[in-house]
Amino acid sequence: MKCEEVKKTLPLFLYGELSFDEEERLEVHIDECASCRGVLERERAMFKALDSAEVAPAQDFLDQCRAELRGRLARAAPERNKFWDKILRGFSIQFHFAPGIMQPLGAVAMLAIGFFAARVAPTSLLGSWRSAGVLAEPATSRVRYVEPAGPGRVQIVIDETRQRTLSGNVDDQSIQRLLLTAAKDPSDAGLRVESVDLLKSKPQSAEVRSALLYALQHDSNAGVRLKALDGLKDFANDPQTRQTLAQVLLRDDNPGVRTQVIDLLIQHRSDSMVGVLQELMVKEDNGYIRMRCQRALHDMNASVETY
Amino acid sequence: MPVSGQRDVFAYTPSIIVLQATAAQAAHRMDEPELIRAAQRGDQRAFEQLVRLYDQNVLRLALNLLRSPEDANDIYQEAFLRVYKNLHSFRFDCSFHTWLYRIVTNLCLDALRKRRVRREENTVVETSEGFLDRMDTVEEARADGNPQRQLMSRQLGKKIKEVLTGLTPRERAVFEMRHYQGLRLRTIGDMLGTSEEAAKNCLFRATQKMRAALGDFV
Repeated sequence: MKCEEVKKTLPLFLYGELSFDEEERLEVHIDECASCRGVLERERAMFKALDSAEVAPAQDFLDQCRAELRGRLARAAPERNKFWDKILRGFSIQFHFAPGIMQPLGAVAMLAIGFFAARVAPTSLLGSWRSAGVLAEPATSRVRYVEPAGPGRVQIVIDETRQRTLSGNVDDQSIQRLLLTAAKDPSDAGLRVESVDLLKSKPQSAEVRSALLYALQHDSNAGVRLKALDGLKDFANDPQTRQTLAQVLLRDDNPGVRTQVIDLLIQHRSDSMVGVLQELMVKEDNGYIRMRCQRALHDMNASVETY
Repeated sequence: MPVSGQRDVFAYTPSIIVLQATAAQAAHRMDEPELIRAAQRGDQRAFEQLVRLYDQNVLRLALNLLRSPEDANDIYQEAFLRVYKNLHSFRFDCSFHTWLYRIVTNLCLDALRKRRVRREENTVVETSEGFLDRMDTVEEARADGNPQRQLMSRQLGKKIKEVLTGLTPRERAVFEMRHYQGLRLRTIGDMLGTSEEAAKNCLFRATQKMRAALGDFV
């Protein structure tokens, strides 16, 4: 390999984009050529300088973007989802094209729908609908069994589950206990996301923090784990939290979670992390995480890999 | 109180709550393909989780590429709205990450090309308190108390910004995606609708220009 070719290839070498053979030939040349070694060092210095020019969006800015997106999605959602809107729009378009004929037809159609709905819907359904105004809370029900009860009659046994709505402050102990229980409900990931999202504002409580650590380590849903991680950000220097973060970084199967964890750990870096980062370099296949890890190890004057 | 189906996509009223488990809440799964399928069926929270997995990196890419908070926010909004509106057409032919970044990079390249037609936008504005770089207000603060190092770093940052501005939109995109996002050249090629070789050439030209311009600084 000639010096010119080496100089041309150096950026790809530093980015790890050369094949095994190309890398081997380049390393052999650099070992023997002092001039190219100098060029490599300058190239490394330039890469480091470029690293320093990276812009990372501040959390406030990200929150602001998310809030705006929330509003836009809320406006976009009806256009995409509302089935009835489409039906009604269909009617209105027809009225618009031929108002004289279509309006009476539309009215007849609506009357017909009402008539058949009343005829077809079981009276039990209508009954429960009527009684909904009397009931304090909504109820879900399921027919347990049916049995004949004399000529033309039937006896039906129904299991009913009544819902209770509780309102309160997140600081309230009884509310917090319910949230802690809901945060571990194995049957409902959505409920866990919501509960952890609420609990994450109270990480000062040891019980809440312990629930967040548990969720980060054990929850099967990446969304729940991300919310839990969010709640632990202010405790990144706490030894127990750091230990959990290191385990998650090495074991979590979701690159989004690992990305957030490595960002947090590097933000609060300490020499005790070196072993974890070196282990990560051996097994991690995500480019961004590898890059962050590699840079952190360089900054801590640690070797990139263990041998 | 938000109710199922109309729930706020991201936020929640912080202190007053009503606990209500619904069937819709149970529609979440752990892995990305299931999240995508749930979002395709109209599950807002699954969509939120998808956004949360990638939005920080999307904003980082847009901010680094365009070096303007307003433009980066525009790209962020437009990209996720396009994803939201077109998710039903996503057929798992490529990874969701590649599909999303294809949208983001196309939007960024368009913005950079338009910007080359008009003049490059300056992030420094004059205020009653003197000159202020708008990027400082949206950028994560770096912990460095040494004033001399801060000055050096500012000068270097300015120089790097000048060089970045001088790159073609494609060179800039490839450089940003390789250097700051850590993406492989093959993936970058897929995202930009080109070959790995073409992405490699772009990166080579970008680093060559960097070297020529930053030679005195490093």
